[in-house]
Amino acid sequence: MQWDLNSEKPVYLQLVEQIQAGIISGKYRPGDKLPSVREMAAQAMVNPNTMQRAMSELEREGLVYANRTAGRFITSDEELIKQLKKRYISQIISEFLEKMEQLGLNHDEIISLIDEISKNKGI
Amino acid sequence: MLKKLIKHEIYATGRILLPLYGITIILSFVNRIMIGINKFNNTPLNIISTITMFFYVFAIIATIITTFILIVFRFYKNLMTDEGYLMFTLPVKPFQLINSKLISAIFWIIISVVVTITSLLILLLNAERVTIIRDIWAYVYKMLKNNFGDNYVYLFLEMILITFISIIQQILLIYVSIAAGHLFSGHKILGSFASYIAINTAAQLVSLLVLLAMASFTGSSFEKLEKLPHAILIIAIVLCSIYSILYYLATNYILSKKLNLE
Amino acid sequence: MSAILECRALTKKFGSVTALNNIDLTLERGKIVGLLGPNGSGKTTLIKLINGLLVPTAGNLYISGMPPGAETKKIVSYLPERTYLPDWLKVSQAIDFFKDFYEDFDVNKAYDMLKRLNLDPNKRLKTLSKGTKEKIQLILVMSRNADLYCLDEPIGGVDPAARDYILNTIITNYNDNATVIISTHLIADIENILDEAIFIKEGSLYLHSTVDDIREKEGKSIDSLFREVFKC
Repeated sequence: MQWDLNSEKPVYLQLVEQIQAGIISGKYRPGDKLPSVREMAAQAMVNPNTMQRAMSELEREGLVYANRTAGRFITSDEELIKQLKKRYISQIISEFLEKMEQLGLNHDEIISLIDEISKNKGI
Repeated sequence: MLKKLIKHEIYATGRILLPLYGITIILSFVNRIMIGINKFNNTPLNIISTITMFFYVFAIIATIITTFILIVFRFYKNLMTDEGYLMFTLPVKPFQLINSKLISAIFWIIISVVVTITSLLILLLNAERVTIIRDIWAYVYKMLKNNFGDNYVYLFLEMILITFISIIQQILLIYVSIAAGHLFSGHKILGSFASYIAINTAAQLVSLLVLLAMASFTGSSFEKLEKLPHAILIIAIVLCSIYSILYYLATNYILSKKLNLE
Repeated sequence: MSAILECRALTKKFGSVTALNNIDLTLERGKIVGLLGPNGSGKTTLIKLINGLLVPTAGNLYISGMPPGAETKKIVSYLPERTYLPDWLKVSQAIDFFKDFYEDFDVNKAYDMLKRLNLDPNKRLKTLSKGTKEKIQLILVMSRNADLYCLDEPIGGVDPAARDYILNTIITNYNDNATVIISTHLIADIENILDEAIFIKEGSLYLHSTVDDIREKEGKSIDSLFREVFKC
């Protein structure tokens, strides 16, 4: 797991976001067992308390659950993951649309540009 | 803890001294053989035996000087330079550090004396000379008994005691000088030398004054003369002990309260 | 007493120079704390006071409720900025030395770390490079199960791979009963592993806060704030 952390934003939030991204992209599959907090903190080169805080946040959101003896796991709730993915994608699309608006494109122009470029890319 | 410090101390200093002592002993054997061979007037062998004798004398001098220098250097290097960061963060009190070095120093001084005497015996001892030594000893014994009466035993013990205590005092004087030098903000080694001279001079002045005072009290009555060496030795022992205690306390104070490693 | 370190009006003067001025500081257990400031700001003086290498001019300090002494040295593990091991020792002898004097020393952990770094325990320290000697000192210090670790400039002058290894060691050694104080001026490299940051400016306590608080309140990294506060 490659971690990309900057120093401006609270680290635990960045950790939460990047683990969420990992869940969405399938790097973390439903039901996967996570390494210990200390191991993950060492991998990410962050303070274990910070990683713990990120874990607690993810547990609060239901994306991660803790089994006292066996450790921490990614949720198997596919519906929840789908919702997360949808929220994440909506966010990206909103930001994209805002940028396109700033460039002065209207709805039809945006759609036809997307068609053209995605065909060239083979998507 | 003290035992561990002593063990480490003896190992750290012994790794230099033991090989040196060993070489000295070996050279004394070599020279004894060479002296025997010398009886055959063979010039090349004579040259070799001169060389080996030279090395032997060098080794004896080295034994004594190295032991002394090592005692000084060890205290300085281990406590007042970078190694001090290790030693003063060990879970021990500063006086235990002083004790371990003092005990190790006394130990090696005794060993170095034993080695020197042993090597001389190896070199020179034969049946004829044993008899001579025995005769000298008997003579000294008779002299002491005649001149000083039944107290000769005490005198003898006092002489051993003063030797022992003055060795301790010398070591502690070195330690307190190094510690005092540490208080100087620059030229610490120079400061140590200056402290040594200053403290030693002061101590000798005090001793002189005490002896003069004592002399003026006793005058020159003959009955007291028999007791004189006895009295002088007792005073010397007392003064030496007081100096030793003062040097020890001063060293401990500086290392406990005034430590400032660079 | 849960606080691992408590300083009350702690002051240290050297002649007319005040190195530390009236420091009031409390550190709880289970934290990784950055002691940050430029060279000469008083960081090393504070660390020496904690380790009993200096005596306060005024004020007090307590480690786990006790003033610095033989008892606190049992629970404080110190990594100074310099090489402090006798040169003639072999690595294995240095380990034996620590094992002898420190009850909390974990020999297996030490040899483990040596192996992972491919260091030969039979080599004499004198034959090793400065960087290797520093790694060995770090291994010795981190192999103790201490309550307080004081690391003085642990990553200065060390290559990036070694730096990562050192930070990794600090993180994986973490336990919530022990506190690690890292004194450094290389803040960008360590800020992500800190819980709290202390800024020492010209001998005074300028700031003591959690890293998260600083980022939220100031909206910038500790490194950026540092550059602002200590602008030349």
